[in-house]
Amino acid sequence: MKPQEPIPHNYRISTLNKIFALSSLALLALVGGMVLYDYTRGWKGFQQEFLRVQGERIEEELEAARQATDEEELRRIDARMRESEAEIARERVALARTEDDLRDWEGTHYRADQDFRFAKAVLDALRYEAEVAALQKSSGWEGRQREFREQNVKVERLKLVLEDVTASRDAAMGRRDGLLARIAEVEQVRKGMLADIERLETQLRLVDAWTPEFLLLNKVPLLDFVAPTLKIEQVVVSDMFIDLNYLRMPRVDRCMTCHQAIDRPGWESKEEAERLTGELENRLENFEIPSGQIADVRARLEQLRETASANRNLNNPYRTHPRLDVFVGSASPHPLLEYGCTVCHRGLDRATDFARAGHTPSSADQEHAWREKYGWKPQQFLETPMFPRQYFEAACVKCHSGQAFVPAGEEISLGTQMVELYGCFGCHKIAAWRFQDLRKPGPDLRAIAEKTTPEWAIRWLADPRAFRATTRMPSFFYQRNVTGPGIPADERAANLGRQNAEIHAIVSYLFESSSRRVWPDGPPGDPERGAALVEQVGCLGCHVAQETVEDPESGVRTARRDDFPLERNYGFNLVGTGTKSDPAWVYHWLKNPQNYYAAAPMPDLRLTDAEAADITAWLMTLRKPEFTGAAVPPPDRGAVRELTRTYLITSMTEREADARLDAMPLREQLLLLGQRSIEKYGCFGCHDIEGFEDAKPIGTELTTEGSKHIHLFDFGFVHDYEAHDGKEEHVLHTVPSWVYTKLRAPRVWDDEREKTYQDKLKMPNFHFTEAEAEALTAVVIGMTKDRVAEARIAARSSSDRLREEGLKLVSQNNCRACHVVEGSGQAIEATLEDPAMLPPDLGPEGARVQSDWLFNFLKDPTVMTMRPWLSARMPTFHFTDSEADRIVRYFAADGGVPTFATDAGIEPHPESVAVGGVVFDMLRCAQCHPGSGSDIPTTTDLASLAPNLQYSRVRLRHEWIPEWILRPNEIVPGTRMPTNFPRDAETGEYTSPLTLALGSPQFGSHRQRLLGHFGSEEEMMQVMADAPRVSRHLRNYIWSIGMTTMRQALPSTGEPPPFLTEPPRPQPALQSTSIGGPEARSAGQ
Amino acid sequence: MIWKRIATLLLIPALPAMLACGGGGETAAYTYEDEDGQARAASDTGAPAQAAPAVADAATVIGAVRLNGTPPPAPAIQMAADPACHAVHQTPVRSEEVVAGPGGELANVFVYVKDYAGAAPRPTAPALLDQKGCQYIPHVSGVQVGQTIQIRNSDPTLHNVHALPKVNREFNIGQPVQGMVSEKVFDRPEVMVRIKCDVHNWMNSYMGVLPHPYFGTSDTQGAFRIANLPPGTYTLEAWHEKYGTQTQQLTVGPNEQKEVSFTFDAS
Repeated sequence: MKPQEPIPHNYRISTLNKIFALSSLALLALVGGMVLYDYTRGWKGFQQEFLRVQGERIEEELEAARQATDEEELRRIDARMRESEAEIARERVALARTEDDLRDWEGTHYRADQDFRFAKAVLDALRYEAEVAALQKSSGWEGRQREFREQNVKVERLKLVLEDVTASRDAAMGRRDGLLARIAEVEQVRKGMLADIERLETQLRLVDAWTPEFLLLNKVPLLDFVAPTLKIEQVVVSDMFIDLNYLRMPRVDRCMTCHQAIDRPGWESKEEAERLTGELENRLENFEIPSGQIADVRARLEQLRETASANRNLNNPYRTHPRLDVFVGSASPHPLLEYGCTVCHRGLDRATDFARAGHTPSSADQEHAWREKYGWKPQQFLETPMFPRQYFEAACVKCHSGQAFVPAGEEISLGTQMVELYGCFGCHKIAAWRFQDLRKPGPDLRAIAEKTTPEWAIRWLADPRAFRATTRMPSFFYQRNVTGPGIPADERAANLGRQNAEIHAIVSYLFESSSRRVWPDGPPGDPERGAALVEQVGCLGCHVAQETVEDPESGVRTARRDDFPLERNYGFNLVGTGTKSDPAWVYHWLKNPQNYYAAAPMPDLRLTDAEAADITAWLMTLRKPEFTGAAVPPPDRGAVRELTRTYLITSMTEREADARLDAMPLREQLLLLGQRSIEKYGCFGCHDIEGFEDAKPIGTELTTEGSKHIHLFDFGFVHDYEAHDGKEEHVLHTVPSWVYTKLRAPRVWDDEREKTYQDKLKMPNFHFTEAEAEALTAVVIGMTKDRVAEARIAARSSSDRLREEGLKLVSQNNCRACHVVEGSGQAIEATLEDPAMLPPDLGPEGARVQSDWLFNFLKDPTVMTMRPWLSARMPTFHFTDSEADRIVRYFAADGGVPTFATDAGIEPHPESVAVGGVVFDMLRCAQCHPGSGSDIPTTTDLASLAPNLQYSRVRLRHEWIPEWILRPNEIVPGTRMPTNFPRDAETGEYTSPLTLALGSPQFGSHRQRLLGHFGSEEEMMQVMADAPRVSRHLRNYIWSIGMTTMRQALPSTGEPPPFLTEPPRPQPALQSTSIGGPEARSAGQ
Repeated sequence: MIWKRIATLLLIPALPAMLACGGGGETAAYTYEDEDGQARAASDTGAPAQAAPAVADAATVIGAVRLNGTPPPAPAIQMAADPACHAVHQTPVRSEEVVAGPGGELANVFVYVKDYAGAAPRPTAPALLDQKGCQYIPHVSGVQVGQTIQIRNSDPTLHNVHALPKVNREFNIGQPVQGMVSEKVFDRPEVMVRIKCDVHNWMNSYMGVLPHPYFGTSDTQGAFRIANLPPGTYTLEAWHEKYGTQTQQLTVGPNEQKEVSFTFDAS
């Protein structure tokens, strides 16, 4: 046999074997690698760590429980359980008794009701008989009439009886309800104790499951999937989608995979625990916690105090979210299951890796630490990285942009107010409701020649802060990218000339186009009286009048804007007024600001001629002679020509331009350059300027700035820079850091860049402090194109809209300079020595006053002098009906009351009025409240006065008065109205001093007077001990003495005088220089 | 100390009266004395009842406060606005802002140990703040944290007691009844708490709240005394309503009787 021929093939088995062996090994390694990779994913580490910490804590708690509770605590809990059970039994017995009592009263009530009805029926019959008898003059008709009258008296008496019985029955009902509530409460407590026991047991089980032996098996790679202890957790949010332009994706937030304790109370940081402790203690002390929850709150306080004092201080990601009552908590307005995390924080929702999730460092230090610890690196392709820590509130804008102030968003509300005050919207279009229809932040310049001199204006433009250190006017000229130390000497010299030329040109244009009305001199005044008036009438609520402040650290130093509340920067710093303006202008400005320009924000303080003259005299003493000391250098002809030429050659050849310039006198060149410079710097964004009525804002639109990708920001070559205040700042490669830097040093991006003069950055320097820049940055990066479901938008109902419109007016008119609105305000406080002289807190204004009254008062504050002791005046704002209406609607909505009149025609019962009158005497209300005649009783010290109660009926809401009498200090902390019915510290019930008073001989006559109105002494004492009831009697008395009509607001005297009252002045000679550009420019026509 | 015992005695009969009148058996947040007797003798000594328990080796600080220069004239208070106040006084009452003797002895200066950190004895007796003749008595005083303050209205007119603290809890209670006593407590140290009456604008009182009993108020002789102070080195601060504060270091040895003096300038 021939040996079988081997089948020919092109491979060798042995080689193949090797290859297979190797590749299977490689595959195995790969699988191993995969398992390892999965096993070591970042989030697992965090979860393990958290479980470990949690295990430790449970162990601790259990150990503590074992040590303390095992015997004693358990026994105590047991005893408490028994106690509560006994209490329930006791209360049930009482309940049965009360129910019997109630049944008795029901019977009595039924009888009284029957009696009354029968008597009434008899009365009706008698009436008919008496009428008929009188008509027919039948015999004995007089007798019939007498019978009718007697029956009438009887019916009246029975009516009173019925009322009393009804009251007693209602009281019995109240007692029964109280007992029922008390039983429910005790049962709640019992349930809580049971839950405590159960919780301990559950935790015990958990800990038992968490034994190391079990762990070993459970945590073996590949086997861990059987019953994973570590797993990804997520929340799906479908109506707060991710917008991928054509596709809306639901959010799948997995943040809690690592942030395990985010919604669990008990893992707070120490600071948060301390803050919460204070907050809860306050609420407890203020009786703001319903009695059913007091035990829970106490337990929570215990937990918080422990956290605050514990040795450990947890770091993220293991902390509880701050302010669970506002965020994340299931009872908060933003529960975790509905809102998730990335809706507010942004970042990549599905990511479970630290860097990929889009965490954004808040500082260079944090960035460094993250790189070290978590291998953090910037996510180039993530469009929505998280907001850094200091800008969290930026997220509010998305849903709350329809609100004038974001509730609980202090930072973002401050930033929004700053955008309004500094007028960012003047240059940067912001298509958001909040920044529409706002007045321009700077004064109208169409009459500047009446107010000041060109010399002053030139110096002012060159350096506004040299004149007023706290001014809101930013610095446009001589900034770092033009004449800063980084600019080569020759270029700097040339730029100095160019800047001076532009300043001269702008001032020339402004003064050329200004009207020149002549203001007649006012009467002479006394500066000392003026100084006193400025402090008294309230000027310092909106204006600052100082250049320096006392700093506890560095002694006396130049004032900054942030030395004062925002509201006091609303008006200009009064320093230097005497140097800037002449007395005639100042006098007329004070008398009627709207005469100077119609949109002037300064309200009318109704100053008399003499007062205005005195204040003028004082303002004239505020001089800064050094500011106008040196002569103004004339403009450099060469620079004017050169700059004018740069504009001309945009529309003509260079030769034509030169020929044109040769033919133009300097003045014409200046006017042309001025016009183009105003256009360049966008002055018209904040000021009304002749010829720029329709000019468009020059800055970048900011409506969706927060969604702009980082690649669209020019970071230049800047890493570190020195800000205007000398602080060293570092630029991170993030959008928030860019915006912050732009605000802190607007022209820093030109550092090391080669640019022509006209190409250089031109955003002016507002000299924002770090805090100011941060608040503004939050607003800017918060304005995104993210869209949310309609239902999530705050304040979208029409009544909410009206409310917010009103609130916007509150902000625009700076009401918070003097009043508290939405929890903050009264900036004027710092300037008043006596807090009693503070204008009223408007926190409860909506609930307090009738809308009609408020409308009238807003239109014309002279309709009523509520607080004659206040020296600060409520100004007349000359509100239109629509404006006053919006403000009224805001307050009504804020107080949760309707805007229509609900108090008309209420007539209190004469008996109640009489009782209220005696109590009014006993409490000596009249000692401070004038009740009749003039506003000011001659015998009382002006500073001890309280509002005249005669006004109450037209001013206060009927249901408000007893509320206020009962708890004035809770409604307005610090009010001068004393608490007459202090609460019992334990039960929170109101107590009444009247029962004590009635036992004193001092009140013997009152006692006699009161007894006449009650059936018995017992009844009297019962009523007098019932503070809420007494407060209603008092209200009825006050209501009865009130006037029923009030003077209506005087109709406004029509529109303020038109802006120009003189004949049209010659137009500036600009025709010959018209070189195109916006056709709308009327100055050229 | 005799007045203290009288005050306590007078409180006892008032209690059942209060309970009887209180309606549903609730305890009111105030008490009331219906005798119009001597109970209001509430101390001309300045400091309220403050018996710091004796400590072994404890030292005593005795001090004097003087005013350099001519004290400003004390304006007369116009009490005519309230006849109940006016009638009590035969001679015009003068402002208590600066009360100085002929030799410059400055009264109403609150002197206290600023930096005492050791354990402090608990307050035993309540402090008393009386309103009599439409003036607070004492005008300047000190209490311990947690010490009960009994505020009494001895006038047949309405007073309100309005405390204006910065760190403690504000209160403002009306006292329309003569003899009424309200009890209050301050929880946190604070120097000084101003207390005023909004009805009678001139009425002012200042109360220093401290976590320990080592304080005193100068009397019309300008003298004050801090007893039972454990030996050690302390900062002593003197506070005056008009002239501000002064401090000095102080070291006391065991059982030492130390004399210190403060001088304020009138200008």
